[in-house]
Amino acid sequence: MSWIQALNYPFMQKALVAICFAGVAFPMIGVFIISLNLIPLRFAMMHIALLGGAIGLFLKIDPMPLGLLFCIMASIALGPVSEKMKLGLGTISGYFMTLTLAFAFILIYKADIHVLQAFSILWGNILSLTSLDLMVVGTLSLTILIVIFLFFKEIQAILYDREIALAVGLPEKAFFYLIIFMLGLTIAVSMRMIGALLIDAFVLLPAMAAVLIGRSLRQIFLFSSVFGLLSGVIGLYLSFLFDIPTSSMIILVASLIIAVCMILRRR
Amino acid sequence: MHHSIELAEVYVRLGNVSVLQGVNIEAKPYEFISIVGANGAGKTTLLKVVNGTLRPHQGKVLVLGRDLSQFRDLNFLRRDIGVVPQTSSSSRVPIRVEEAVLMGRYGKIGLMKKPKKPDWDKAYQSMEAVGIDRFAKKLVYELSGGEQQKVALARALAQEPSILLLDEPTTHLDSSSHSEIMETIHAIHHQRGLTTLLVSHDSQLVEHLSDRIYSLKNGKSHLMR
Repeated sequence: MSWIQALNYPFMQKALVAICFAGVAFPMIGVFIISLNLIPLRFAMMHIALLGGAIGLFLKIDPMPLGLLFCIMASIALGPVSEKMKLGLGTISGYFMTLTLAFAFILIYKADIHVLQAFSILWGNILSLTSLDLMVVGTLSLTILIVIFLFFKEIQAILYDREIALAVGLPEKAFFYLIIFMLGLTIAVSMRMIGALLIDAFVLLPAMAAVLIGRSLRQIFLFSSVFGLLSGVIGLYLSFLFDIPTSSMIILVASLIIAVCMILRRR
Repeated sequence: MHHSIELAEVYVRLGNVSVLQGVNIEAKPYEFISIVGANGAGKTTLLKVVNGTLRPHQGKVLVLGRDLSQFRDLNFLRRDIGVVPQTSSSSRVPIRVEEAVLMGRYGKIGLMKKPKKPDWDKAYQSMEAVGIDRFAKKLVYELSGGEQQKVALARALAQEPSILLLDEPTTHLDSSSHSEIMETIHAIHHQRGLTTLLVSHDSQLVEHLSDRIYSLKNGKSHLMR
């Protein structure tokens, strides 16, 4: 079967459209993660989602919606909680990451759930997206693009230095929480698409490549989108060509782009 | 006329440490006030109290005649206060000097609005006043610590504030540049009709520029001159 023939199948069409949306918008969230050092938060959200999935399995219902719901709840709560407790976001993320993981393991043990089944939430499948999934990916992607376009100067100030953003009279906290919220939604949606373990294919790797060669924040956002789109589409094509899991192939392409950017940067 | 800044019996505790223990300081409009004290005396904390990023647990803070405890959101007030922090940003986000200075305008421009030509003009005027206009297109993280401190000063001026808060503004400068930057700050203070609050560990540096000098020791303030 040729690539063109494969694209006649609805599941391939949905995968391609989802990759285009996510490829353009999700790496911009990766730029936030890198600039604001939110890596621990991203890990915490993945593990909180695992707890949601474990509860779903414990209750014998579909684990994915609960996992996503937990992830969204965490994205709303973690910022204010860290503020209230006067602990850094990294610290509070570490706390919730280990706590939720412990609860997840207790549930898995007590309910006698097969570990692979529990961890199923960590693997998504881009070839099994529904029309509703596609709408969610599209809506979230457009929302991210619109927010960045409308509030570019506020976001620029916050990514540069949160204290400066606050000092010049911007509602820094509100924007920071908005960024965390968008990060949570992106992780939740990415988990459905490609699984928690491979989220970086869309979110972090294209942003890393862009940060390597971007000479302004605008360039970084633009390059991250281009790289996200390229790695997504090429990854999907190559995965079809060589019969390799799509998300793994996307990661390989994104990693290659990073390697090229590293070489370009050294020149 | 309202005092521009008035701190009365201000107490601040950070964790279990009492940093400020009954600080009394006032700065009338257009005055140049200096606060001197050793490292760890609470000078930076005091500036954070004045621009409302740190709330005291006791005492009264009046800025431009407004009691800060009466307001939950102080962004409107911060737009009138220019801050030059002691440490330069550690950010690796590629921001040009002209963009970093323009950020001083962001609070006043308003949400979702793009900077216009008058905003850029004010940013460039501030860079010229501080002598960094030749670096305008360079990235901030490529500059030396002293140059970055000047960027912070230019950003604070681009804000067109009524109050200027300076935290050890000579920290990253070589000693030969200390008096030069202090003279620049003093000249800008007069030209722009600012109320300036400067904290420093070096009393000699601020001696002849200040209308009044307070010392900060063991969390308490004393009027020196």
